[in-house]
Amino acid sequence: MELWLGAINLGFLYAFMAMGVFITFRIHDFPDITVDGSFVTGAAMTAVGIVSGVNPWLALSLSFLAAAAAGAATALIHTRFAVNGLLAGILVMTALYSINLHIMGRSNIPLLSEPGLIAWAKNLNPGLPSEIWLCLLFGAAIAVFWFLIALFFRTDFGISMRATGNNPAMAAASGIPVNAMKIFGVALANGLVGVSGSLVTQYQGFADIGMGVGSIVFGLAAVIIGETLLPAKSIWIQALSVIAGSIVFRLMVALALYVGLNPIDLKLMTALFVLLILIAPKWIARRRQTSAALSGLSLTPSGYKKARLVGALIVCALAAATAVVFFRPAFFAGKPTIRVGIVQLSDHAVLNMTRNGFLEEMADRGYQNGENVIFYIEDAGGDMATVNSILDKFLQKKVDLIVTISTGCTQAAINKIKETPIVFATVANPFIIGAGQSDTDHLPNVTGVYGAIPMDRMMELTGALLPGKIKIGCIWDPAQVNAVFNVRQLQAQIKKHPDIRFVGATVTGSAEVQQAAQALVHKGIDAFVLVTDNIVFSALDSIIKVADIAKIPVILSDIERLSDGALAACGYDYRQSGVQAAHLADRILKGENPADIPFERYKKLTIAVNPDVAARLGIALSAKLLAQATLAGGHPQKDGPSKRLAVFVFSDNYALELSTQGILDELRRSGVLKKHRITVDVKNAQNDYATAQAIIQDIVRQQYDYIITASSLALQVTANGNKTIPHIFGTVTDPYRMGVAKTARDHLPNLTGVATFQPVESAVSAMRALFPKAKRVGLIWNPAEANSEACTLKAREAAKKFNFELVEKTVGRTDEVKDALAALLNSGIDLFFTSGDNTVILASATLAQILMEHNIPYFTNDPADIERGAFFSVGADYHSVGVETAKMAIRVIHGESPKDIPIREYVPETIGVSVKLADRYGVKIPDAYLAKAAVIRR
Amino acid sequence: MIQLQSIHKTFHPETLNEVRALRGIDLQIRRGEFVTIIGTNGSGKSTLLNVLAGTVRPDSGKIVIGGKDVTRQQEHQRARTIARVFQNPFLGTAPDMTIAENLLIASLRGKRRHLRIGLSSARKNRFREQISRLEMQLEDRLDHLIGTLSGGQRQAVSLLMAVLNKPDVLLLDEHTAALDPKSAAQVLALTRSFIESENLTAFMVTHSMSQALDLGDRTLMMHKGEMIDDISAEEKKRLTVDDLLDKFADLRKAEKLTDEMLEQLRREYR
Repeated sequence: MELWLGAINLGFLYAFMAMGVFITFRIHDFPDITVDGSFVTGAAMTAVGIVSGVNPWLALSLSFLAAAAAGAATALIHTRFAVNGLLAGILVMTALYSINLHIMGRSNIPLLSEPGLIAWAKNLNPGLPSEIWLCLLFGAAIAVFWFLIALFFRTDFGISMRATGNNPAMAAASGIPVNAMKIFGVALANGLVGVSGSLVTQYQGFADIGMGVGSIVFGLAAVIIGETLLPAKSIWIQALSVIAGSIVFRLMVALALYVGLNPIDLKLMTALFVLLILIAPKWIARRRQTSAALSGLSLTPSGYKKARLVGALIVCALAAATAVVFFRPAFFAGKPTIRVGIVQLSDHAVLNMTRNGFLEEMADRGYQNGENVIFYIEDAGGDMATVNSILDKFLQKKVDLIVTISTGCTQAAINKIKETPIVFATVANPFIIGAGQSDTDHLPNVTGVYGAIPMDRMMELTGALLPGKIKIGCIWDPAQVNAVFNVRQLQAQIKKHPDIRFVGATVTGSAEVQQAAQALVHKGIDAFVLVTDNIVFSALDSIIKVADIAKIPVILSDIERLSDGALAACGYDYRQSGVQAAHLADRILKGENPADIPFERYKKLTIAVNPDVAARLGIALSAKLLAQATLAGGHPQKDGPSKRLAVFVFSDNYALELSTQGILDELRRSGVLKKHRITVDVKNAQNDYATAQAIIQDIVRQQYDYIITASSLALQVTANGNKTIPHIFGTVTDPYRMGVAKTARDHLPNLTGVATFQPVESAVSAMRALFPKAKRVGLIWNPAEANSEACTLKAREAAKKFNFELVEKTVGRTDEVKDALAALLNSGIDLFFTSGDNTVILASATLAQILMEHNIPYFTNDPADIERGAFFSVGADYHSVGVETAKMAIRVIHGESPKDIPIREYVPETIGVSVKLADRYGVKIPDAYLAKAAVIRR
Repeated sequence: MIQLQSIHKTFHPETLNEVRALRGIDLQIRRGEFVTIIGTNGSGKSTLLNVLAGTVRPDSGKIVIGGKDVTRQQEHQRARTIARVFQNPFLGTAPDMTIAENLLIASLRGKRRHLRIGLSSARKNRFREQISRLEMQLEDRLDHLIGTLSGGQRQAVSLLMAVLNKPDVLLLDEHTAALDPKSAAQVLALTRSFIESENLTAFMVTHSMSQALDLGDRTLMMHKGEMIDDISAEEKKRLTVDDLLDKFADLRKAEKLTDEMLEQLRREYR
């Protein structure tokens, strides 16, 4: 519910902007791009105003005026100097970037604890849920706005304004000052855009220099969607349609998120959708016209009207169709569009269990076979060649996903299929078959569920089957890393059982297995206990034969092989394996990339016995054991409720990827996910503010149990949109500047986290240590980046402290970096430094090359820069930052309240150095640095 | 009422496309005079109208309307006293607005535009009355978009809009040329009746010799940016269309000679 309400509320807030675009684009027929800049101008004025204590209503008015001034400038340039309207808009938009930065004084202003209109509105709340109250309030405000603006368009003045856009020649002939009217109209439009910027800023709790990007496209989309939905001539309906378009557009975005569409595709979809709506009615009208012309008739006005209506209908149908194609069809029951191929190696009890577990869980998640999904369920009858032909069939049927049950099928599938996503289940060790190197580093189209066996349970089972003093024999191949690991685990467990003695035999190949088994029998063992070892298990038959003759039971760690003649097996619950696989399949079908989904271990253990073998060996199966054993009947008890954790990242960049990885690695390593049955979802806003807004609303709506954010903007959006769910942030340069905390202990009650300042001072101190005579340090930075700004402030301090003169040049885009460097070189610098600036980082290879030619050592705050040619770096290790963030999250998961956990400053320093460049500059790198260096380039 | 003093206008000066549209036009028109203008293609008739309206600013010369020098005034400023009807019936009205809204804009010509509800019922009643003068059954279609009317109807409405606030000067730029004969006759009849009943000072450019002779108190002939003849009302009564055509034919002959001679002289003496 919150997601939809949130979307409607955003729609209301953006409706002012849509109205602005309607005024320029429709009334004045003037494609005004100023909007992208004036939106931020509105946001900036309000943020600065509110922070400095101005009444929010006054701040809103200032936003309107400032943005209107920007619009007036565009129209003035256009009318006075006859500059193309589009170009005039681009010029002013570009200029506004600087102006907005000047207004804000920095690139990001938090408003979290500041009183604004939204806070004021919330205070009036008589007790309704917050979003519902806001929705009512915004709705009322928009209704008034709609009434007033439509009324305005019906006054003498408003009608004249419309005439100006509709027919300038006629307007001028009627005495309307066309240019002045255009200037007024564009100013009014931008003023409304500024109002939108102001309100959105108060709603999302911060202003950011980048928040206006793409506004014009959104505005156009809203106008056009509105026109298609409510085609009308009356200005009342026209104004209403703009508001409706704004809301529908936001709902579309919310729907896309709701059904799990990848936010990466959102912009593409928007563009396609707008294009479609733009061209479809015209295309239809043209077709009509052609056919009318053929039959010798001219297109009558009513015929055109009909064409428009048909156009609108077709557009709606097309939109629905796009929705069906783009969005998950699970939403629109009755259209089987998802195809899932399931292949198992043989008709084997455990494999069937996995399959059934999978199918049942999929059904629970809304995938109804024959309705919205087709399952192709195939059984290879134990034949690998058949597996391959089954896979071929899947490919030919263009399945969306392949589920492989058992190791053999998985191996065949991952070798054959490189595109279609594969989810494996009931595989003991996916690494052996080359599915990956680790849980997270694996083949891009493959993920799945696997597990090794916990040996304590294995020994419990053995003890239950063979009470008293016993001697067990184990065979393994010491060349198999996995097997050696398993045997060590087994031996460690045996130490805890004084009644059990361990006798081992090693083999170097499957041919030796039988001999080894006989040797063990000779040593008087009471049972074979076999841990997973591919070589040994490949010759399992020979062990079974030896055991049979000696009337010794075989206990296995692989339930798949139980029916080969072993007595018992302790392995994982293969039904659960299917259930877990279904979770993964669900995530992939909802748009996640298998490459991003780590392998999962089984969560549920199963014990199985073979009653026939027990009877043959004369072993009594205790009631307790039978109650536990799966194959003897009865499922393990149902699981308790699981919890969910969202990892929310604002955009894709290197540092954020590293820290996200660190978070995930630590969460998994700690075992907390398994212990507390927590599933993790990673959400990425793709650098889009509105998307970020929708994501946090979605997280709140779905009532996640924990949120971890990486990046400053994710922190800000989350801190504003979520007040209850425990929230741990990381990869934030300065949480205090983000407004979420005053001191380490005085912070918002539901959040805490890790602050990682760039080790600027360390870098500057290294400069002094390495170059005692250097005086001038060149620095290039982008004032639009909050982090870069913070670093520059620190660099200024550090430079003073270490007696350097800092020579700064600012840039707005990466392509300006080279010029800035040329200017620095011209002014004479001894050293060069960049710190945490994303704009400059993109040009670091070029920088490094030029600096090397001029023999100027290049210092950075990112050791990865050494590979791009930098000389020396002291940086934060973002993977460690992620790990630290996760550690704090684990404390919260274990029950601590974020309120009681102080914000931690954590800067894991790591050093990178190029020895080659050190030689070139004639510098000896002190051993202390070399010892700490993570990256050394020789 | 109107005085033009040695008006010159050259488009695209000193380029290959140079057009000397007006070459020293001097003209005096009395209040209430109805002047028709004929001329060959490119003779400068439309430019003359545009100069009067303020759409085109002359390179030199002086324009005085009602005793006031308006040479430097912009089009929308002059619109207080001047109303015009364009040749293209689509140019005179805003197609995506209703008939009533178009009439409203016309009724505000020369007045201030306030934030007052435009279409009050009183105003609408007035417009309904006014539009009945067209006798086109548009009285009940005031809320229809102008774009849904035929070309003839639109031009008739344009004409009505031009005379709605009695203008000091009415400019008609071949306003029936793009219409079918029946609509053209209708609009012409309306034109005549409006001008006579309101006693307007009017300027009408036309292609039709018979129209030129039929209508108005005075006919001007233009050629190559110059006024070559000024025919008074009495003279017009004696003339026929053929006489007018002969005048043009003579002109062409004479001119051909002069042009060639001029060209030759220029070459020889340069």
